[in-house]
Amino acid sequence: MKRVLTVLLLMMFCLSFVVANGSQEVAVSDEITIVVMPKLVGIPYFNASETGAIQAGKDLGINVIYTGPTTPDAAEQVRMLEDLISKGVDAICVAPNDAAAMTPVLMKAKKAGIAVLDWDTPADASVVDLSIHQIDDREYGEHIWDLLVQEMGDTGDYAIVTGGLSAANLNTWIDAGLAYAKKQYPGLNLVTGKVPTDEKQQVAYQKTLDLIKAYPNLKGVVGVSTPAPLGAAQAVQEKGMKDSIAVVGTSLPTDSGPYLADESLRVGTLWDPAKLGYLTVVMAYNFLNGEKPQDGQEIANVGKISVWADGRTVIMGPPADFTKENYASFSF
Amino acid sequence: MKSGVKKLIVSKEGILFCIFLFVFFLMSLLSPGRFLSWYNLQSMAYQLPEFGILALSMMIVIVTGGINLSLTYTATLSMIVGGMVMANISAAGGNGILAVLAGIVIMIGMASLCGVFNGFVVAYIGVTPMLATLGAMTLFEGISLNITKGGAISGFPFEFLMIGSGTVLGIPIPMILFILIIVGTWLFLERSKMGMSIYMIGCNPKVALYSGVRVKRIIFQTYLIASVLAAIAGVLMASRYNSAKESYGSSYLLQAVAASVLGGTNISGGEGKIAGTVIAVMILQVISSGLNIFGLNRYLTNVVMGGILIVVLTINFLTEKRSK
Repeated sequence: MKRVLTVLLLMMFCLSFVVANGSQEVAVSDEITIVVMPKLVGIPYFNASETGAIQAGKDLGINVIYTGPTTPDAAEQVRMLEDLISKGVDAICVAPNDAAAMTPVLMKAKKAGIAVLDWDTPADASVVDLSIHQIDDREYGEHIWDLLVQEMGDTGDYAIVTGGLSAANLNTWIDAGLAYAKKQYPGLNLVTGKVPTDEKQQVAYQKTLDLIKAYPNLKGVVGVSTPAPLGAAQAVQEKGMKDSIAVVGTSLPTDSGPYLADESLRVGTLWDPAKLGYLTVVMAYNFLNGEKPQDGQEIANVGKISVWADGRTVIMGPPADFTKENYASFSF
Repeated sequence: MKSGVKKLIVSKEGILFCIFLFVFFLMSLLSPGRFLSWYNLQSMAYQLPEFGILALSMMIVIVTGGINLSLTYTATLSMIVGGMVMANISAAGGNGILAVLAGIVIMIGMASLCGVFNGFVVAYIGVTPMLATLGAMTLFEGISLNITKGGAISGFPFEFLMIGSGTVLGIPIPMILFILIIVGTWLFLERSKMGMSIYMIGCNPKVALYSGVRVKRIIFQTYLIASVLAAIAGVLMASRYNSAKESYGSSYLLQAVAASVLGGTNISGGEGKIAGTVIAVMILQVISSGLNIFGLNRYLTNVVMGGILIVVLTINFLTEKRSK
């Protein structure tokens, strides 16, 4: 036992010298490397944006790394970004779990000469070079509430099931929608505060069952975050209440197919996340080449983008609505 | 002397240290010039302490035969409350250093309250630690969310950020804090009377009681100390992320349990060394950073981590069995 360990230790020492010598010459490759970091990996939405980001890398002939934490934890994201700065990349595009927490590490990245972009969810505006938005947040929030009223009528009880209480983009849409509803649809009655579901369909399903039990007059459920409407629809489907409770929300058409088909989910509304991933990589690549985005610019495979007056906030376009009739024609 | 070295190498900690060296060199080989760069070593030295302190906090509770599931939320609740005070003083134009001191004192005070709560429920009411702290976890999360409404507390004075990002003689301040805490917890757990009582309680609370150990009081104090450690980790996190929020570090919770167990702490209590936990934390850090830099798929990273945990536990189990 002892001999084996001694030999092992000696080998490691030798190895260390080899490595230490090898590390003198820092590997420099001239290939551009762009990191795209989602809030977390392993949920359908971010899987879809991965395919877009990787495709863009192939089309442009550059190296795209798509990686992120397995839980939506800001601390984990910061650690991964620090490691990637050590690795040495050209651009970092991040969808922050929490904008404030990213600021120090993104400043570190800038100091190291790395281009910093945010996508999906905005980071601290003072540290990013470009900000890629899928949508105009206020318009989108209002659109969701328009869909709700279209399905449940403009009076009655409804509830909001959201991914997480601290997700900035979800909160922005909900706040925009609530402000709009107050003005436009005074007959709507929100029965309780927004219900968090940990970005999980299973939790959304449970919580919606609870809501149905607690509020017998419930006429509508708004699901915000991609798994939430699915969970809500699943609960309504199981209870056989799809005629009395209208579920609308932000979901992917392929995932929501089974619920859209029998109308337990009335309407889903979203942008194409693959396109968003694609656009993010293209924008980062253009930025590295010194090319600024232009309002109305036509991006191949994405479409026309709009750019705000600040010159760095890029909006991909209006959302698409998915219903029983059209969901099968979408590929994401 | 010779037999002392031999004993050290075949001890749990010795084996762990060999594993640490092994993964360290493996990672250096995988990403030549990147993993072993000064920049990365420093970046790891900033990352390690916040998790390391949480793991030590978890470990001393596990040694009593308990567990603290409210660990990360204790840290975040205290940093939210302390952070609010700090941000307010700073916004009112108060002295930065004074604001930082007040903030840190309140963070530690808030965590002590959390610790008193946990300790009281576990030691004096006698609720199973897992259930008591599970409840406390939800409670602390709820209080935090009520304060922040889901947002983050920010606007800390500049001086506060230095704690998480400054250096003294080239060594990151978090690392210095971590080393101090390692020495402190080592003296406390392995060199003090109270530490000895903790091991006794973890082995067999009844025997400890009949041997004249004040079991309830010691357990209560252990939860209190563990919570103060959590608050220190909270200070580091808040400073490194320049903000405070209820979900920061939530992924550290189970990792802290894993690090304790990987470090040779018996999950049912009574056994475990500070050195083991520290080396385990270093192993997890090196693997996580190393694989990140190498660019391994994130799911596979989890697989590797889980695999190493199981292999080490098996080795520990087998060597223990053989020595008996």
